[in-house]
Formats: sequence, structure tokens, C-alpha cells
Amino acid sequence: MRIFLLTLALLVSAVSPVMAAGAGVKAPKQEWSFEGVRGDWNLEQILNGYTVATQVCLACHSFKYISHRDFTRLGFSEDQAKVLAADFGVELNDKLVSALSAEDSQATYGKIVPDLSVMTKARPDGVNYVFALLTGYKQAPAGFEVAEGGYYNEYFPGHVIAMPAPLVSDGMVTYRDGSSPTIEQMARDVTAFMAWTAEPERVDRQRMGVYVLLYLIILSVLLYFYKRRIWKDVK
Amino acid sequence: MNNVQKFIHWFDDRLPIFTLIDNTVGRNYPAPKNLNYMWNFGSLAGIALMLQIATGIFLAMHYKPDANLAFDSVQHIMRNVEWGWLIRNLHMVGASFFFIVVYIHIFRGLYYGSYKAPREVLWWMGVTILFLMMATAFMGYVLPWGQMSYWGATVITNLMSVIPFIGDDIVTLLWGGFNVGDPTLNRFFALHYLLPFIIVGVVFLHIWALHEKHSNNPLGIELKKKTDWIPFHPYYTIKDMFGLAVYLIPFTFMVFFMPDFLGHPDNYIPADPMQTPPHIVPEWYFLPFYAILRAIPSKMLGVAAMVLAIAILYVLPWLDRGKVRSARFRPLYKLMFWVFFVNIFVLGWVGANPPEGMYVIIGQVATLVYFGFFALLPWVSKIEKTKPVPTGL
Repeated sequence: MRIFLLTLALLVSAVSPVMAAGAGVKAPKQEWSFEGVRGDWNLEQILNGYTVATQVCLACHSFKYISHRDFTRLGFSEDQAKVLAADFGVELNDKLVSALSAEDSQATYGKIVPDLSVMTKARPDGVNYVFALLTGYKQAPAGFEVAEGGYYNEYFPGHVIAMPAPLVSDGMVTYRDGSSPTIEQMARDVTAFMAWTAEPERVDRQRMGVYVLLYLIILSVLLYFYKRRIWKDVK
Repeated sequence: MNNVQKFIHWFDDRLPIFTLIDNTVGRNYPAPKNLNYMWNFGSLAGIALMLQIATGIFLAMHYKPDANLAFDSVQHIMRNVEWGWLIRNLHMVGASFFFIVVYIHIFRGLYYGSYKAPREVLWWMGVTILFLMMATAFMGYVLPWGQMSYWGATVITNLMSVIPFIGDDIVTLLWGGFNVGDPTLNRFFALHYLLPFIIVGVVFLHIWALHEKHSNNPLGIELKKKTDWIPFHPYYTIKDMFGLAVYLIPFTFMVFFMPDFLGHPDNYIPADPMQTPPHIVPEWYFLPFYAILRAIPSKMLGVAAMVLAIAILYVLPWLDRGKVRSARFRPLYKLMFWVFFVNIFVLGWVGANPPEGMYVIIGQVATLVYFGFFALLPWVSKIEKTKPVPTGL
């Protein structure tokens, strides 16, 4: 049986990277505050990411599962969330829907612009990919033909993306604290915001997971000794 | 006797439900005392099934089987339903772990010869459960109505069209129209809710057949001495509880830390009939069979091979003509078993990759190895020199 479990572990570890792999260039791994068992949302970063999302992304993309009320789940008070909504000119429960209609989207980009709410879950290695994509617009290498209406991106599968670079210059938005971020900073913050819109439960889930695992490990040890005690007469 | 015991006695005299429990998993059901931890996976499979049903019922309270609402309703469960994310993650990861447990359970049966006389009918019920599980899991994966749901459903239901004469009609019937769409989603939801209860019925028969002939054991021998047997309770109830707690560690790790790892990112893109994903892959637990399907250039033969790959298990008890059950005493069979076991992973790996280049050749060789196991078995089991088998514990 020991051989069985060993073989199983080896085979699974050999097969699993294949299943996780996707098409395209591998995005470099970034550090994110919400990853790991002690991970937590960085509220300031999410607020900054929200600024980028609403001032840049929302021109074309929606976050149709997200309203300003969702900020209360992050630890903002209802009044703070109401201020954000009012600044943006909407009610607390209104979803973040782009003004770009499906018809206009089809006419401009030849496709319906995807909703961004769960985007980081809809791509392999989502958060690192989104950050890499937002910072991956480059001059096409010599000899690479970029099709009409497309843009070269290092990390987009096939390298030709219909979306023009959304973050074009440092300081194109001003954060609520008055600072003006670099392109890379905006990309990082809006990715963190998108990670939150995709999995608002993520941090609670990870925290609860630690307790569940601790409980089960202790339970297993206790049950092991209980089992040994019951079985001690069986020869 | 206190009042509770008196009541139980009174009740049991009129409806002997407590006697039934005692005879099934209690002090009155004898089990071999030499079972190893591989025998934990039967009860684990039962628990995994119960967890799927329990979480599934709660999901069904909030899910909407409508092509326009399904994707949103899953997000509604993840975001707005109290503990909805936990219930869905348990169901999603639970499906994968159900297959892991059942596959180990099947390999245990193969290794120790549990399929052999007198347990052939017990084995049949198990293979039937596997078929039903596959149908249920396939339809369950369609329900979130993401890109893989839609295109997976399209590819797999299309396979039915190879059935002579009635194939196309069957596909139309499955779809409820002329392509995968809203009626398909509706009927898959209905069937996904129904089938688990059919599985429960076959599990009942599986356990009934088990209790007629009792558990096999690692030596694969008939245990004649009374002292070789111990009552199920408390010995195996505590052993199963310990096994369950250990099993729940990797299971909950996946639920809380990487719930989407075994799924496919494309399923978080809403179903779009106008756009085919670059490559369509089924859930991981179907990959070996998907590889067999694609290994054969003819679609009709490929589908037949894929179905046969599992259906052949029904006749395994007669393909294997050896009298010795446990692979411990069968050097040739043991070797074949391990080749077969590793080969399944090779098939799974091929199934996860696009059908091009070396994957085609490897897939075809692995398919040959898969069926070679069954083809060689009648001959190997006849000429095999087995090691001396002990007569008792």
C-alpha cells in the first residue's frame, strides 16, 4: 500500500502541471497581499484600483456583479460606500455597468467587450496574467504582422489583442489621496481590485481554511489514538 | 434497562430498524480483521455521495436552470447567498474527490481480486455506479453554463450521433432542439438532480451484495476461522472515522485554498455559441477515456472504444481465470496491474493535451496497453505460476 500511495503522489505531481497550463506566454509571478494563509486585502490598494477601474476600464467594460455596497464587505462603513457612490453619481446598490452598449462595442471592436467581474478567474494564473497583460503592450518585433484593428501584447495568446492599451501614461488618473501613480502601479492596483471583484470571499475563505485544517489535524491525531486503543486486542 | 433502551426495544420489536443497522454496520456484521487502509475507500465513497447530495440540494434552492440566468445565478450563490461560496466549493471539489475515492476503490478491487467469485454481482453494481456517476458529473459540469460547460456538452452529446439509425434522433432528444441550448440545460438540471438518487439505489444493491458474501481481504483467501473476523462496530466504525478525518484534510485544503484548481478557467467565461474555445477538455476524471476516444481515427470506433473501456469491467471476472485473488501471490498479474495503473495516468496526460504530434502516438500506444491488459488476462491467468497462498491468517 505504501508503494501505491507513493506512486500515486508521483504520478499526480507529474500530471497536474499539464492540467494547470494554458495557452500563451507564462506571466511572471507577482507578490499579492491577498495570497497565502495570512493573506488580506490591502484596502488602500483596492480603493486605488477602484479609481483606475471606474476612470479607465469602465469606459468599455462592466463589473456587473459589483455595486458600491460591496465595499461594506471589505470593512468600509455604509456611509463611506455611499460617499464613493455619490462621487461616482450612482446609488449604493447600482451595479458598475459601462455606458458602452453591446451594439457600439460590436461596431468599434468587432466583439462584445467582456465583463471584468470574474476575469481573474477566467484566465489561467489570472491575477499574474492580468497584470502582465496590462503592462505587456510593446512595439511588435520586426517581421511580426499585427492585423488591422489589433495591438501587439507580449502576454496575450497569439500576441494580437483587440483592446488598445488602456493605461497609456503615468498619472493618467489621480488617486483619492492626491498622488499620481505610474502605469505599473495602476496595473498592480487595478489587478488587486479585480482579484477582489472576482472572489470577494477569498480572504474569509483562506482564514477559515486555516482553522478547519487545524481542527481536522487535531481530530485525526485523536482518532488515530482512539482507533489504536480500540484495536489493541486484535491480534 | 433505562427508558431510552426500553423505547428502542419496543420500537425495534415493531419495526426492526435498529436490528437492521446492527446487522449492516454494527456489532452483528462481521468483517475480516486483516483489512488494510485501502478498504476505507468504500465508506468514504458513500460519505462523498451524501455530501454531494446534501450540498446539491442547497445549491438547487438558488440555482436557475435557464440559459440566460444560470451563469449569473452561480455568481449570486458565490456572492449573495449566506455560505453560498462554501456550499458551491464543497460541491465542486466534492465531485472531483468523489472520483478520486471511487477510482482508488476500483483499483483496490482490481489489485486484491475483489471482482472474482463470489463477488461478481457486487462488482457489476460498482461498475454501474461508475457509469451513473460519470453521467451525473458530466451533466453537473454543464449547469454553470460557462464556455467549457457549453462546448463540453456539445462535443460529448454529439458522440451519440454515431449510434446507427437512431443516433441523430437521440442527440436531438438530448438537446431538446437542434443544438445545445436552453432546453438542454433544463433537462440536464432535472437529470442531474434525479441520477444521484438512482446512484443511492444502486449503492444499496452494492452493499446488499457485499453483505451476502462479505468483504474480500488483502490475502484474498476465504477466512474460515471464527477468530479471523471482528465485528464492524466498533473496529471498522472507528477506523473509518479516522480515515474520514484524514481524507478531509486534503479535501478541505482544496475547498478553502484552491477551489478552482481542478476546474477550467474557461468556465468563468459565460457560454457563447458563437465562439469555440481553442481546445475543449473535459473534467480531469474523464481525461483517460477522452484520450481513448481520440486515439482512434474513426469517430464511431472511438466512441465504441471509450464505452468499452469501462463496460469491459463487467466481464472482468470471467476474463481472469486465475483462482488466486490477491495480486500479492500473482507475480505476473501484479506486474500487469502496475503497468495498467501507470498507463491510466499516461492516458490522462494525453487527454489533457491537444491531439497532435507525439500525443497522438503516445495516446494510441497507451490505448493498446489499456485494452492489452484485458486481452492478455485470460491467457496470463491460465499460465501464471502463483506463489503459495496461506490457508489462514
